[in-house]
Amino acid sequence: MKSLSGFIKLTTLTVIIFINTSVIAKEIDVKPPFGIRNHDIGIAPDFTLQDIDGETFTLNKSKGQWIFLHFWASWCGPCREEMPAIQRLADKIQGDKFNIVMINTAEDEDTIFEFLAAIDVDLNSLMDADGQVTEVWKPRGLPTTFLINPKGEIKYQAIGGREWDNPVYIQFIRTLIASED
Amino acid sequence: MLNTLPLLVVIANMQVVQPVIIKTSDLELEFTARTPNQMSSFYEARGFPKSMLNILKKHCYITAGITNMSDQKIWLDLSRWEFSSAGKPLKREHRDYWKKRWQDMDIPLNKQSTFRWTLIPEYLDYLPGEHEGGNLVLPFTNKPITLKATFATGENKQGKEIVITTDKLFCAEDEQ
Repeated sequence: MKSLSGFIKLTTLTVIIFINTSVIAKEIDVKPPFGIRNHDIGIAPDFTLQDIDGETFTLNKSKGQWIFLHFWASWCGPCREEMPAIQRLADKIQGDKFNIVMINTAEDEDTIFEFLAAIDVDLNSLMDADGQVTEVWKPRGLPTTFLINPKGEIKYQAIGGREWDNPVYIQFIRTLIASED
Repeated sequence: MLNTLPLLVVIANMQVVQPVIIKTSDLELEFTARTPNQMSSFYEARGFPKSMLNILKKHCYITAGITNMSDQKIWLDLSRWEFSSAGKPLKREHRDYWKKRWQDMDIPLNKQSTFRWTLIPEYLDYLPGEHEGGNLVLPFTNKPITLKATFATGENKQGKEIVITTDKLFCAEDEQ
């Protein structure tokens, strides 16, 4: 009996070590690539905004998927540069576990519509018409992207414009999505 | 690479005066003077009211871009930037000053927000390789401007301070 008890303890310990190692391995796997920083600041502030088609979006209703929350403005040069890469990201990562949500800061509907048409992307955008949602979120600058996990927690912040269709970023986002399975 | 582009205020299609570039082993700073007409045209195109434009036209605009070239964190703190001209201090107004001023004038919130986004942050930790920027708004002067900018370094600001000094800044003027 004594040796059986010892065996059970050893097995249990081994399982615990294995589980812990797996968790650590997973955390290492999702270490952000250059240009994305850990930004583990808790629950994402909720908001409700309309897009350029008049549809309403509420952040809190989007739990269960990773949200790529992107703040931009038409007058911001890097935003213009970055937008086609976001389109390609949207083309490459599809499905109901990842959602790209764009928020235009403090511009009117015509400006947003003309801008998106001019750079030839098939992306919709929410309109933060008075800029107050952006004030609450306090991005470091424009553009800024936050990555929010399926529980509604802000986990990462991207610094400036990124080539989002670069394999490094695609792989990172795919790993995030897989880590929540 | 997109990440090498200035972030906050790369105003598309704006005429650019030759920038003043300062490089050290840790930092790269780029200062570009904008004329009052360049800035007010930008703001006017965004529907800023005339009352706001009239005030903005009277100031001096220098777009600053800062890149952290080091492998440690560098801290921007504008309260540690000292501007002077002709031997006298030149007072840069804090973004809170502008916020109150626009609120007192009942400027629409979206215009207030856009204005704030064109300003350089008052305080920011720059990660290695990070580039951020924005406008400095100063009282107008036709004399050269001296800047002494002090940056803390390291995760907890425990590193050696970086002090940048230049007397090559200036306010750009519109041609008469």
